[in-house]
Amino acid sequence: MLKIIIPTMMLLPLTWYSKKSMIWINVTSYSFMINLAALPLLNQTMDMTLNTSLLFSSDSLSTPLLILTTWLLPLMLMASQFHLNTESELRKKTYISMLITLQIFLIMTFTASELIMFYILFEATLIPTLILITRWGNQTERLNAGLYFLFYTLAGSLPLLVALTYLQNNLGSLNILLIQFITQPMSPSISSNFLWLACMLAFMVKMPLYGLHLWLPKAHVEAPIAGSMVLAAILLKLGGYGMMRITILIDPLNYSMAFPFLMLSLWGMVMTSLICLRQTDLKSLIAYSSVSHMALVIVAILIQTPWGFMGATTLMIAHGLTSSMLFCLANTNYERIHSRTMILARGLQSIIPLMALWWFTASLMNLALPPSINFIGELFITLSMFSWSKLSLLLMGLNMLITALYSLYMLITTQRGKPSFHINSIKPTFTREHTLMTLHILPLILLSVNPKLILGTMY
Amino acid sequence: MNPIIFITILLTLILGTVITMISSNWLMAWMGLEINMFAIIPLIIKQHNPRSIEAATKYFLTQATASMILLLAALMNFMYSGQWTIMNFTNSMPPFLALMALTMKLGMAPFHFWVPEVTQGSHLTSAAILLTWQKLAPLSILYQIFPSINHNLLLYSGILSIILGGWGGLNQTQLRKILAYSSIAHMGWMAIIISYEPSLMLLNLIIYILMTLSSFMLLIGNSNTSTASLAIMSNKTPLTMIMLMGVLLSLGGLPPLSGFMPKWLIIQEMTKNNSIILPLIMAMLALLNLYFYMRLIYSSALTMFPSNNNMKMKWKYTNLSYSTLLPTMFTLSMLSLPLTPMMNLLL
Amino acid sequence: MNLTPTFTLMVFIILIIPIIMSTTHIYQTKLYPQYIKTAISYAFTISMIPALTFINSNQEIMISNWHWITINSMKITLSFKLDYFSLIFIPVALFVTWSIMEFSIWYMEMDPNINRFFKYLLTFLITMIILVTANNLFQLFIGWEGVGIMSFLLIGWWYARTDANTAALQAILYNRIGDIGFILTMAWFLIHSNSWDLQQIMMTSTETNTLPLLGLLLAATGKSAQFGLHPWLPSAMEGPTPVSALLHSSTMVVAGIFLLVRFHSLLENNKTILTLMLCLGALTTLFTAICALTQNDIKKIVAFSTSSQLGLMMVTLGINQPYLAFLHICTHAFFKAMLFMCSGAIIHSLNDEQDIRKMGGLYKPLPLTSSALIIGSLALTGTPFLTGFYSKDLIIEAANTSYINAWALSLTLIATSMTAIYSSRIIFYALMGQPRSTTLILINENNPSLINAIKRLMFGSIFAGFILSNSINPTTIPQMTMPIYLKLTALSVTLLGFMLAMELNQMTLYLKFNYPSNTFKFSNMLGFYPQIMHRLYPFHSLNISQNISSNIIDLTWLEKTMPKNLANYNLMAATMTSNQKGMIKFYFMSFLISLCLALTFLL
Repeated sequence: MLKIIIPTMMLLPLTWYSKKSMIWINVTSYSFMINLAALPLLNQTMDMTLNTSLLFSSDSLSTPLLILTTWLLPLMLMASQFHLNTESELRKKTYISMLITLQIFLIMTFTASELIMFYILFEATLIPTLILITRWGNQTERLNAGLYFLFYTLAGSLPLLVALTYLQNNLGSLNILLIQFITQPMSPSISSNFLWLACMLAFMVKMPLYGLHLWLPKAHVEAPIAGSMVLAAILLKLGGYGMMRITILIDPLNYSMAFPFLMLSLWGMVMTSLICLRQTDLKSLIAYSSVSHMALVIVAILIQTPWGFMGATTLMIAHGLTSSMLFCLANTNYERIHSRTMILARGLQSIIPLMALWWFTASLMNLALPPSINFIGELFITLSMFSWSKLSLLLMGLNMLITALYSLYMLITTQRGKPSFHINSIKPTFTREHTLMTLHILPLILLSVNPKLILGTMY
Repeated sequence: MNPIIFITILLTLILGTVITMISSNWLMAWMGLEINMFAIIPLIIKQHNPRSIEAATKYFLTQATASMILLLAALMNFMYSGQWTIMNFTNSMPPFLALMALTMKLGMAPFHFWVPEVTQGSHLTSAAILLTWQKLAPLSILYQIFPSINHNLLLYSGILSIILGGWGGLNQTQLRKILAYSSIAHMGWMAIIISYEPSLMLLNLIIYILMTLSSFMLLIGNSNTSTASLAIMSNKTPLTMIMLMGVLLSLGGLPPLSGFMPKWLIIQEMTKNNSIILPLIMAMLALLNLYFYMRLIYSSALTMFPSNNNMKMKWKYTNLSYSTLLPTMFTLSMLSLPLTPMMNLLL
Repeated sequence: MNLTPTFTLMVFIILIIPIIMSTTHIYQTKLYPQYIKTAISYAFTISMIPALTFINSNQEIMISNWHWITINSMKITLSFKLDYFSLIFIPVALFVTWSIMEFSIWYMEMDPNINRFFKYLLTFLITMIILVTANNLFQLFIGWEGVGIMSFLLIGWWYARTDANTAALQAILYNRIGDIGFILTMAWFLIHSNSWDLQQIMMTSTETNTLPLLGLLLAATGKSAQFGLHPWLPSAMEGPTPVSALLHSSTMVVAGIFLLVRFHSLLENNKTILTLMLCLGALTTLFTAICALTQNDIKKIVAFSTSSQLGLMMVTLGINQPYLAFLHICTHAFFKAMLFMCSGAIIHSLNDEQDIRKMGGLYKPLPLTSSALIIGSLALTGTPFLTGFYSKDLIIEAANTSYINAWALSLTLIATSMTAIYSSRIIFYALMGQPRSTTLILINENNPSLINAIKRLMFGSIFAGFILSNSINPTTIPQMTMPIYLKLTALSVTLLGFMLAMELNQMTLYLKFNYPSNTFKFSNMLGFYPQIMHRLYPFHSLNISQNISSNIIDLTWLEKTMPKNLANYNLMAATMTSNQKGMIKFYFMSFLISLCLALTFLL
């Protein structure tokens, strides 16, 4: 892992020693190279893990997320170039450093093979994200959003810390490679139920579970583009990743404890999709759609079947790229219209047609068109859900329907229709933006050719 | 203040603390505390304004009361056991009284009311000494007598301190008061862990002192005393404000900063002793502290308040009087979490 | 050595080449539509080879090309099923599309994005071919959804029009409801057969539960616009006419029926599902026929006639005659595409006038179109020895002689007679009588792209049924013997409809029509279905989303209970505990009290 972590750390001096004109290009290209160096990890030949050391290891669950993380840094850099245009060099460099710091923490979080270390790094990602949201957000609501983000996550995750230390005292080790051999089934008692709750709650807040999701729309909406991207693409996935990792520890309780949360997620995904139907704010719509998609992931993980796990892993990657792309698109609109309100940016297809293509593709990915990787994820989740309970298909189906509706509603509102007068003189699109979108779409398409790369540990 | 006098006072202060720390005799320990107290009072009234005099008076009154109670405890102990040695209690009354006296001296709840006001009344430097150095002597006594004191009382006092330290800070805009409340909360953590694993209390104390001192140093550099004055500093001294942000987050105990280390180890130690609910409550209450640190961070580092400060890039030209210790302290108070496994060896 | 797979894959390649070519400079030229048209004609020619081979040798083939993924014990490969249905359907679809493409060269001539339009049409066709050749459910679903999305793009082609966007969204919405059924079926078969391969499904599930079949039915209902999910079909007329032609003839809408045809071996043993299909089909065919009666938009009438024919196909499936249903798909494709093209030609000639009341007398300026329209309508009504006859007549006969419920049968018969009524209504209003269109319109039909396309389909509409039904062995044998009155039922019903229509038209042409009649309103307002389903449901669900899920739950309940409440309590507590007045006396008092309390606690 050091071959990824150390170069990522060296991005920091690269940023600070780069000339003013070379900051973006240097950091972007270098971070692409880091991603390239991480790609071979995808070749998981063994069932267990690769690169096993005491601290870091990667297996087929963490590697896709790791690759996604490294992939996203250059994309974030590309996306934020424009809105940092007017900032001073110092601030640009600080901003980039924050992104890099976040990247370092994320890489280490995904590869940490000790749960306490995972916890610490999981929390460590809060600080750079918080700074990104509150320092480079636009509206004053960002302060509130930052607080919500911080305190929801912390309040959810502190029980986890206590639970983890408790488990460590009981088991003697929290090494991920080891716990599957030393863990004992939990006794069905009230206190074990609380332990289950403590272990899951942190990740459910992070995912977020419906009801604990309030921080997410706020944070997504108020964050600058890179913040939204990394939040939607990776930070939410930390929750899913953590849940999958920790379910080994709390095994037999899942069958009884999961029910209320399954219900809540199923209910919540319909509710949040419905909310999307009435959003006027583009970023808020995308944020709520993330909540709805993550509810699917929660459901899949709680069901605890191989298909569910595969679906959850796949959907996490797919949704990571898709929502990040949607945020980028929303940002290109925002940079032109200076508003997130959809109705102000309508009819853009006539003016910037190539961007309409990206909008179209992203919407299709969001509504899970076969054979996209999103569809594979959603299908697997639906399958595992169906085998759990046939009636759940009612809600899942309803959610599919509404997802299609709001994705296309977003597409139609922003791209179709007559363009209004005030957007006649907007800037043309940049190659940078098209590259950005291509780099989002390409992995999505290529992964659907060979999805087993990201099917996770159960494949 | 005359430098010679200042140095004398400072040395006296150190002398008092050291006497307390090294003595195994109640009388000597008490004497050390008294010397210490008498030395700090001139420091509090370094600026001759009514507020600092009031603060000094309050400090004197509470400390004197505490000292008297402590003396009473020592005498009672002498009465019961016939000797002055610390650590050897035969009756439950003397350690109880000693505990009360020490909590009073440390400014722990419910004897915490004086802390914010005395801190607010004194100069920033004196406040820094009050909140850091002055904790050493009482804690060293507490460290020696902890096996015989009533742990429940200590736990109640600790939890109460954490709660009141959290809530108290929510209402403040004055930096020194906020730090005073943060000190109360930290004292609560230390008080709770001392009955489980006293060396963790030491670790917590060290980290706490590091963090508090570095935050005070940063504030002293610009003579910031209120949130309002902090708010206009970010375009004047951006680096300081970023550092302040780091230190405050560390004070709040956010991983991966140093402040998380004592909290983590304390929680671990307590769960090891089958106490699950208590650390959970403590951790949750620590969020209150984090909240008011966040407010400071918001006003200092993360937002730009509209201000009439039109001097650009002041930080490049002015010769700010930062202590040479600052980089070390800052680094230690931010980045020592990776050293935790080593701490485990030490304990 | 069997060349069927080779040629079929070649068809695919030929069709995909123009799409790949769209990255080259050819895409910028005016020639691109021509290329596509030519490619499709080549593809048609090539696809005839496997079709003829099949007719000759009756050999069905299944090929597996590319192993995509193996999950647990389930293997998914790219595999094609080249059987009776796909091998016959592909040439038909290609033939029809060839004409449609040629027609759109004329129709879309003025469109600045004509190249993109052609690319979309071609993609639409390719997805349909993927659908019919798919050998596993996953691949089928790719085609299934691809058709849906392409229809979204094509219906919303004129994207600046709100109506077009609404119609496109409607299409997706109704299809998505059907997709739920499809997903249900996929899930069911995965769990119970551990496979999505059609062969394996057919083999393992002889005693099939009704649930997955219900899913299939729901999917078909959505895709083929059966009653309940039908309103998107007439709305889809917002798209350009070639799109309607393609959508209604050989792609998209028949996909649902095709799916059920594919699964007929599972359906035929399940009485419940057969009855359901029968009733649903009968209801659809009658309801949409009623709706067609009073429409004034020429395209809407044709659209409703499609819907009615789809209902008829569903009825055919319900009486367990999947091969007949398939035959009807194929024959229907010819004349329906032609009807659309004719109406497109008329609309275009009359300067985008779609209202049949403002046409009239067109047989003089547009003789070829008119004759094609008449032939198409006659074929649609099942006039003997035109294409429609060979399937429709058989369907009615089979229905008459089978043991189905009389209700469904009578509905179907009524609907059949109505076919004649609305067909003759188009002819009567658009072609006969005096011109009622605005003057100064240059009407001609000289463009070879238009004439050739219509001619080719006219040929198809006349002979295709004969050719198809003569060359293909019927696999399920329809009833061969029946009383003469049953044999003549279909014809007589149609004749009755014609006579009725002519009578009514003659009678009412110069009369003032009694507009406020309730039956007229029912028919003209499409049975009030869109009013109810498109107003009430979206209104309420949007209201729910705004009021309940957004305002009440999200912004009030969740916000108030957790963060706001917590903040308030902490604020209260903070003011209470830290409200210090700086009074040292009180402090000492509190010290004393706490000391005493602690002491009592100790003692």
